[in-house]
Amino acid sequence: MTDAETPPSDLPERPTLSTAQPEEWFQLLKPRVMSLVVFTALTGLFAAPGDPRLWEGLIAVLCIAVGAGAAGALNMALESETDALMRRTRGRPTASGRVRKNDALAFGAVLSLFSVTLLGMNANWFAAGLLAMTIAYYAGLYTLVLKRRTPQNIVIGGAAGAFPPVIGWAAATGDAPWQAWLMFLIIFLWTPPHSWALALYSAGDYARAGIPMMPVAKGAKSTRLQVWLYSLILVPVAVLPAFVGLGGRGYLAVSVAGGALFLLLAWRLFRSRAGDQPDKAEAVGREAALYDVRAEAKPARNLFAYSILWLTALFAALLIEHLPAAGLECPTCV
Amino acid sequence: MRLTDQELAARKRRNLWIAGGLIAFMILVFLTTFLRMQRNMEEARAARAGVAAEAAR
Repeated sequence: MTDAETPPSDLPERPTLSTAQPEEWFQLLKPRVMSLVVFTALTGLFAAPGDPRLWEGLIAVLCIAVGAGAAGALNMALESETDALMRRTRGRPTASGRVRKNDALAFGAVLSLFSVTLLGMNANWFAAGLLAMTIAYYAGLYTLVLKRRTPQNIVIGGAAGAFPPVIGWAAATGDAPWQAWLMFLIIFLWTPPHSWALALYSAGDYARAGIPMMPVAKGAKSTRLQVWLYSLILVPVAVLPAFVGLGGRGYLAVSVAGGALFLLLAWRLFRSRAGDQPDKAEAVGREAALYDVRAEAKPARNLFAYSILWLTALFAALLIEHLPAAGLECPTCV
Repeated sequence: MRLTDQELAARKRRNLWIAGGLIAFMILVFLTTFLRMQRNMEEARAARAGVAAEAAR
């Protein structure tokens, strides 16, 4: 064969530079997840006893947010192949090829290093250690080990998302007492019903990607039952801060009224046939895939959407009650 | 290797953002150092005042 006949695929590929735009790099940080992390970390920071120092607190929350974003970038880099198979995630920068996997890995690693170092310098090395562990837990244990191996993936992996209020508290005081772990427990118990509600109407996506989410591995009926059982445990735990001095009357109202609605939606989901049919194939695009569902899957979608709202309301109530303007003592604590 | 116009423009934007990020990081490190020094000086002053008050008693 002469040189002229050499197939183009045998020629060395011309090295290319990434043409990704800054917005695409920013998407790697999972801004929506990051906003919830900022919110819960702020709550932990302000709920901690003592007078929070404004600038140090703000830098600490920035570090926690960037650390969470770094974990998101590492997760997207490590899951680019499976993300490309799922409707909900195929538009992500790494899944679509707009940002290369190795670039995303380097980006995540550098941001992890910067955020942990700065948090250690700014607050304390206990908080920085917790942040480093959270990043490793999410990117390593959850993404690389649990996600593809067990239907309990988000139960165990969900702890990564529950750490920010503990880190916020640790950044303020240098320790993590049981009150901080109570906030951790609320998010930890909230994660399974929230994630499985979504999985019930996107199980086809997970099955295609080979991820053993609960509806794929154990079926829709078992998942609906588990969502109901987790909700029964979550709601009393979410009310608990109002009785241990962490939350006040405002928090009590939000947790009880919101919890009752959460239980109602979880019950409706349990009694529904959500997930029994394959998810809507014609729903294309990230937003559509999240909310455009079959009629029988609507209870799952409703619980998924409401769970975000309720968690936000719970932490907003805690945050408002502990803002510095309200004084060091919580004025409405029962 | 010749870069395309698109690659050159993307590299320039990326470099500007990296520069901005590094400058922001430097400012944060400076601010953190300043705040920590200020806090340490306040604590040292309070400790000295405590020792002086003890000695006066």
